[in-house]
Amino acid sequence: MAAPMRLLVRRVIRLSHRNIHVSAAGASGRSGCCWGTSPCRCFSDDRNTHFGFETVPEAEKAKRVYKVFENVAQKYDVMNDAMSLGIHRLWKDTLLHVMHPQPGARLLDVGGGTGDIAFRFLEYVCSQQERQKRRATRSMQTPSWQDISNNYSTEDEDGPRESRAVVCDINKEMLKVGKQKADSMGIGAGLSWVVGDAEELPFDDDQFDIYTIAFGIRNVTHIDQALQEALRVLKPGGRFMCLEFSKVTNPVLARLYDAYSFQMIPVLGEVIAGDWKSYQYLVESIRKFPDQEEFKHMIEDAGFYCVQYYNFTGGVVALHSGFKL
Amino acid sequence: MFRNVLGKLVTETVHVHRYVKHAAVIQRVTPSSVFVRSFADVKDEAQRPFDTSLLDFLVCPLSKKPLRYEAKTNELINEELGIAYPIADGIPNMIPQEARLIQKDSDTSTPPAQE
Repeated sequence: MAAPMRLLVRRVIRLSHRNIHVSAAGASGRSGCCWGTSPCRCFSDDRNTHFGFETVPEAEKAKRVYKVFENVAQKYDVMNDAMSLGIHRLWKDTLLHVMHPQPGARLLDVGGGTGDIAFRFLEYVCSQQERQKRRATRSMQTPSWQDISNNYSTEDEDGPRESRAVVCDINKEMLKVGKQKADSMGIGAGLSWVVGDAEELPFDDDQFDIYTIAFGIRNVTHIDQALQEALRVLKPGGRFMCLEFSKVTNPVLARLYDAYSFQMIPVLGEVIAGDWKSYQYLVESIRKFPDQEEFKHMIEDAGFYCVQYYNFTGGVVALHSGFKL
Repeated sequence: MFRNVLGKLVTETVHVHRYVKHAAVIQRVTPSSVFVRSFADVKDEAQRPFDTSLLDFLVCPLSKKPLRYEAKTNELINEELGIAYPIADGIPNMIPQEARLIQKDSDTSTPPAQE
């Protein structure tokens, strides 16, 4: 019992040293051939991009990312809870509060695999609907005959049915898990699932009121293309909202966060999901993603207006928001 | 700060429980039908009905033109480019690389690329 633990600890320390020093050393303990390709970090070719701390050809990144999420799909939600100690739920809830969708709104959730945002959206809109109904009945305590007859004619509310949420993800496995969750939660009305690429969305122009991408945009190979597509499918006046891991501002918190990311998260990945490499990719990809200001400029360059960001948990997560005008 | 987070977590789980209770009531009423439905689905090759209201805003990702739903092969056809996007389990697969080319002379000579 002690020996494998010691091996694990030794491996963790070795890997964390490797990451913190960002050395071009050879493959880590268990990783096989697929991670050893071209470890040169001095490449700055157009056709190469980053996959975590590795440099890979752009064409390969999409495939590797697909495999990562295919492997983790079944345990994705459990891992999210374990890694963030449940705080990811608060982040997503806050996203909904900032979004404040009204009944009848149409949401496109890109990279929304297991459907967390879409479910919250539908629940929020439903509760908004109920609140409006209650307000209406309260103001109609003494209705006239005219009011009563009007009420009977507009009996069937098609508010909740009008609000639609479309979940789009490039990965079939994640959508499958999401659909199963929806079925078990009994949510079906107004929810659609589509397999699609964020860089080439299969939707017509000016279709959606809100476009969200939660913890997905750092996995996209060409982020600017994804932003262009987001601008295209949004209606004028539509809102782009992106929840993503970002740079921690406080230095003390940054040190703790780094230590936690590189030493705890892959271990958790190995223990819970049986997949060290995918979670290694995850924490590395967070470090490679641009910080709050840079990403804000990227969004502005794509053509969004009134771009602003909110930091959550000291900058661990940032919510960027922009409008199509 | 942590107490607030804990407090929020507790209230969140309470909210979730409230929703779950509602959902559980509905499900307790028809547990057998759910199981029957899942078995039937497996037998019918997961032929879940495709929601055609999606076609209102779904287009081909390459040409951005509207698509036609073909019920026989359960695919979405783009006539112009001659490609068909498969639908698996009620979820349309709109990745261009996974679409299949429709041969002009024979109808379904090549089987769909994905399951």
